[in-house]
Amino acid sequence: MDNTLTNNDNIISINKVCQQYKGAESESLKKVSLNIKKGETLLLCGASGSGKTSLIRLINGLVPHYYKGEMTGEVTVAGKDISKTELYDLAGIVGTVFQNPRSQFFSVDTDGEIVFGPENIGLEPSEIKKRKEDIVQKMNIENLLERSLFDLSGGEKQRIACASVAALLPEIILLDEPSSNLDIDAIENLRDIIIGWKNEGKTIIISEHRLWYVKDLVDRVLYVKNGHISHEWTKEEFNNLPKEEIEYYKLRPLNIRTDYFHLLSEDKNSDSIDNNANIGLGLEDKDSVILRDFYFSYTNKTYVFFKKKFKESDGSFLQLNIPELRLPKGKVIGVIGHNGTGKSTFLRCLCGLESNCKGTIEIDGKEYKGSQRINLSYMVMQDVNHQLFTDSVKAEVMLSNKDLSEEICLDILNSLGLLDYKDQHPMALSGGQKQRVAIASAMAAGANLLLFDEPTSGLDYSHMEKVGELLKELASMGKTVLVSTHDSELIETCCDHTLFIEKGRAVSLEKV
Amino acid sequence: MKIKLDPRTKLYMIFIVSAVVMMSATTPFLWAVRILMTVIPIILLMCNKRYASAIRFLFLYAVALVLTFTCITEDSKGIFMAFLVGYCAIIVQFAPAMITAWYVVKTTKIDEFVSSMQKMHVPDGITISLAVVMRFFPTIKEEYAAISDAMKMRGIRFGGGNAVKMMEFRMIPLLFSCVNIGDELSAAAVTRGLGGKVKRSSIVDLKFKVQDYLLIIAFTAVLAVFIYNKYFMK
Repeated sequence: MDNTLTNNDNIISINKVCQQYKGAESESLKKVSLNIKKGETLLLCGASGSGKTSLIRLINGLVPHYYKGEMTGEVTVAGKDISKTELYDLAGIVGTVFQNPRSQFFSVDTDGEIVFGPENIGLEPSEIKKRKEDIVQKMNIENLLERSLFDLSGGEKQRIACASVAALLPEIILLDEPSSNLDIDAIENLRDIIIGWKNEGKTIIISEHRLWYVKDLVDRVLYVKNGHISHEWTKEEFNNLPKEEIEYYKLRPLNIRTDYFHLLSEDKNSDSIDNNANIGLGLEDKDSVILRDFYFSYTNKTYVFFKKKFKESDGSFLQLNIPELRLPKGKVIGVIGHNGTGKSTFLRCLCGLESNCKGTIEIDGKEYKGSQRINLSYMVMQDVNHQLFTDSVKAEVMLSNKDLSEEICLDILNSLGLLDYKDQHPMALSGGQKQRVAIASAMAAGANLLLFDEPTSGLDYSHMEKVGELLKELASMGKTVLVSTHDSELIETCCDHTLFIEKGRAVSLEKV
Repeated sequence: MKIKLDPRTKLYMIFIVSAVVMMSATTPFLWAVRILMTVIPIILLMCNKRYASAIRFLFLYAVALVLTFTCITEDSKGIFMAFLVGYCAIIVQFAPAMITAWYVVKTTKIDEFVSSMQKMHVPDGITISLAVVMRFFPTIKEEYAAISDAMKMRGIRFGGGNAVKMMEFRMIPLLFSCVNIGDELSAAAVTRGLGGKVKRSSIVDLKFKVQDYLLIIAFTAVLAVFIYNKYFMK
């Protein structure tokens, strides 16, 4: 029966596959059947944990060869029975771009990474060099060669990941939430790469939460829910889905509101932002958080005995240059801007992690300097795993404040819906719950200024919505919330204002 | 002038230098050989434009050497002198190995290293695991920095708290993220053909050049001199 499949140009055929990971409580895939024609472009959408990634792993062979578990059914890719094919034999046929650029690189430099695949399959050095030149030229990445992978931005890393997958010349390319860590420009770039592959006739399967950039590239859209494919749309059907239906399926919108990012897409020339615009919405002192003298650079000025203080007049030397900024108190403020223009630097300086930044924060007439800023503010990091230290949720909250009474601690947990988990190990919780544990410890520490670094990257619509609601709730408790994000949908859900940062300067503060 | 050495030469240098530092120099001639051997990696560092570290090493080694020969005699007494003797002796004795290792680590790319191991017919299993270890150092550094930031924000600091707890706070998140990254990393690597039965090729073309031969001869000579003096001279 399988032999006929290759004849009617199905390059991938999945036949009644059930799969359960070792140690998992339920099946991740339930009797999934799917045929994909050569040259098709497919989009997999659906909530986190619905089985999209497992489906991708079926095709690249990581299930069952790398991630072990119980599996029944057959998977045939390019005429090969996956269960009987070793992973390295699939390397030249299926290529995968993963979600996290941090953990998919084997080399430490860009050149080594691009040739890593071809070297593994033992190609002749001259052939490898030729392929590398081709790929570099096609993807326009000359400027990224001979660089350390650790110095690249998220977007640049993802381009190198694409290049290194393409260097194996696979017929089938899988992308597992490739845009999670990218800003709008980098996503446009990724889109161009996918268009290039499509024109070469490759079969492409994309698993993605962000739909706006792929919706007109795909031939078919599959909606995955609870381990099976519950809906299928053609490109036309999908693009004409009414808004209510998109919301019903808990999908992210097909069109992004670009108006939040109008400043992003405009090519600002550097002269126009050399002077800090006088922004701040004309706020009164009592309604605002006033930031003063935030100057910072990662490289020190040359000094003999004492480090020199950063000043406004250092101009373009500075990575952060904000003489004065008034932020509305008790609101959710979205911090937007390109990758690498100082959003993270701004947040790091604000909460006092960069001790060389001597800025002061004034709230309710009280001025906070230096390390006082650490007590005033709290940053929830993008990778929240880094900031959970203890062995139970309760201990985690108590760690923030030794004088905290148990009552208040339980109160805080209750307000964040964590009361049932108070004795669990934080690492055993889901991503969203971990985020809330971090917020709980921030509240226990009495932080009034809560900073979030890309809290929704890689989240599906309903989780993103939940984060948005939580942020709003925090603001209604009187906390001032700053959230750096590329996620226009998050801005729409929860932000009261957007603060646009470009080249380390606060360029505009607008009401949403 | 940039001198590029074959990784095999570098490994050979490390091997010889570590052997020689375990033997003591007894005559002025041996001292001269030893100093010469230390100067070579410093010069190599300079050739690779690592001036700052080269000068730092040179300064450290020179000061220790001068102190050993001038200030410290058999009659040196007192705690200060004891420390001084200790430090200088350690630096003079082991600096050559330190400097050479620093030079090799800072100037060898992973793919060059892998390819040289292959040329020496070291099994792929060993080569790849060593390469992964080298790949992992920067990652651990990044993760460690992120965790330090998080601790700073929580007001968890050394002093005040107890040291065991401090270790625990640092190590647990670090281990968690390293295990996760390692797992994803190897999944990504096997989808790109790592571990196949075909012989891995390499675009790094390694050939011994004049400078490699010269250095190999020089270091072999150094080893020969020391061995001859230790075992065959009476």
